[in-house]
Amino acid sequence: MSNDNILEVINLKKYFKVSKGTIKAVDDISFTVKYGETFGLVGESGSGKSTTGHVIVGLYAPTSGRILFEGADISAGVERRPLSLKKKIQMVFQDPATSLNPKRTIKQIIELPLKVHDICHGDTSQKVAELLQMVELPVEYMDRYPTELGGGEKQMVAIARALAVNPSFIILDEPTSALDVSIQAKIINMLMRFQKEFNLSYLFITHNLSLMRNVASRVAIMYLGKIVELASTEEFFYNPLHPYTKMLLSSIPVITDEEEAMKPKKIISTGEIPGALNVPPGCSFHPRCPERLEICDKVEPFMLEISSGHLVKCHLYDFTKA
Amino acid sequence: MNNTLLNVKELQVHFKVYGGILKVLNDVTLTVNEKEKVGLIGESGCGKTTTMKAIIRILPWNAIVPKAKIYFKGKDVMKMNDSELKKLRRSSISMIFQDPTAALNPVFKIRDQIFDVVKYANLEMGKNLSKKEIEEEAIRLLREAALPEPERILDSYPFQLSGGMRQRVCIAMALASARELLIADEPGTSLDVTIEDQILRLLKQIVEERRTSIILISHALGAVKGFVDRVYVMYAGCIVESARTFDLFHEPLHPYTKGLLAAVPKLTGGGIPEGIKGRVPDYMNPPLGCRFITRCVHAMPICERKQPRMVNAGNNHEVACFLYGE
Repeated sequence: MSNDNILEVINLKKYFKVSKGTIKAVDDISFTVKYGETFGLVGESGSGKSTTGHVIVGLYAPTSGRILFEGADISAGVERRPLSLKKKIQMVFQDPATSLNPKRTIKQIIELPLKVHDICHGDTSQKVAELLQMVELPVEYMDRYPTELGGGEKQMVAIARALAVNPSFIILDEPTSALDVSIQAKIINMLMRFQKEFNLSYLFITHNLSLMRNVASRVAIMYLGKIVELASTEEFFYNPLHPYTKMLLSSIPVITDEEEAMKPKKIISTGEIPGALNVPPGCSFHPRCPERLEICDKVEPFMLEISSGHLVKCHLYDFTKA
Repeated sequence: MNNTLLNVKELQVHFKVYGGILKVLNDVTLTVNEKEKVGLIGESGCGKTTTMKAIIRILPWNAIVPKAKIYFKGKDVMKMNDSELKKLRRSSISMIFQDPTAALNPVFKIRDQIFDVVKYANLEMGKNLSKKEIEEEAIRLLREAALPEPERILDSYPFQLSGGMRQRVCIAMALASARELLIADEPGTSLDVTIEDQILRLLKQIVEERRTSIILISHALGAVKGFVDRVYVMYAGCIVESARTFDLFHEPLHPYTKGLLAAVPKLTGGGIPEGIKGRVPDYMNPPLGCRFITRCVHAMPICERKQPRMVNAGNNHEVACFLYGE
């Protein structure tokens, strides 16, 4: 077994049954996260990136596939997970306004995981104060309610709550997309510092590629429940292969000339993202793809390793068939 | 060419809330020329939308306007009566809102919603269209907003359309009445990146073809950069800087603009720079002098006492900061 992987996701599927059919939110994806790295999961809304995070943290049991955490199979779902395992995997959600209970004080919010995991007995004030100081919030905030705090400060509280139990793996689900850029910078820097300090591994979920460029060491891009390209961050941004990746990169609004020069020129965004209920046959990107081949609407492409660690799911690179 | 279309001077808007008065807009001054594309950038809660609502006089009931001079084509908007305002909104200025889902009525078909807009916009210009003409015009507008199968769209309810399509419907409706000025309030923010890109390119193409002026509001700096001729930067209810787009992005002057531009993560990498320290001031008790003082690295004694006025730093680049004279 490869021991430098903290998390291995193998052929993970998560389907939801609805009245009109089955939504394949996550459809056969595989990736690994190494110890101490930030693995980025990018995609537009409805691509299944958050569902992936929810399955890993145990909010849903997977439909099929395996999740290995530190070598042990944890695909059983949260009710069968031991407390010690739940402690190791924590999550920070997108919108701090809804992930913090408005009827509880900051102290009550942060001390709950401490009590659940039996880390602190009796008076938790000191430990809560330490955690607040760690995320650079004033200790007086302890007795305040979430509504009295700014958006960025609320997210700091959510991060403090996740760190309270000394986890080794944190899923960050769009931690800054509800916040302004000037506050985003502060939170991301803090997260990067904690990663070094506590030797954390992150699964970083976002739709913001510019942000991903600066935080992740490897990036996977999802489209309608499938990973279409996976590469190291450098490879991904300087040598994007999948037409969807290129379309996404060329759509990003940027502010400097150097960035403008980096964007792939040829591909212009067209078409709509189909609904999850009627995923197109073959390659699900083919209705929007400017480089579509004849085969694309019939056969689903395989994941191909183009160079070491650079995987792409596209017929354009399947030279065995050409 | 440089005919002023919209002229806003010293606009103040306060809101009466439980516990006091929020002094939100503080002497906002801006102009929009004919056929000009103007951007308004700033972070959430800085008063971008409030400014626009004040211009077309659709502020909520608890808003107080202590001071305002708003001229549209030389006419004083603040002195307009109801029928004049109706005419203004039906035939001259129109607004596209951030969230198309909230902007469309969920219980009416697109047909009913767009027909009303088309009918009254034309009525205001003395054209009483028949039902058939209204339908033709509506279909033409939907096509202009790059919607495929406009006939099918007309018979759909908003929930049957995707977010991008809903925003296109809103654009089509705005086009019916925006003959001179289109206000686009974060038109792509609630959409996906690839869809946002499509919407912005469409809007740009439409305003250039129709020779309409546009005010594009956004907190996404990149989106504004590729679109507009001139940019205003807003912070905590004040315009702090205005310049031509190129100048603003290449040589920002105000410490806030500099901080904001530096805080955006770059596609070229290089790590995440430090953000701007501190938080936006409380509108209940805003600082007496410069409203950015609590977060500014260059704060001087004068900044505490006096509000900086816009000064020209050359090349039509204006900035409200004591670092640049006065």
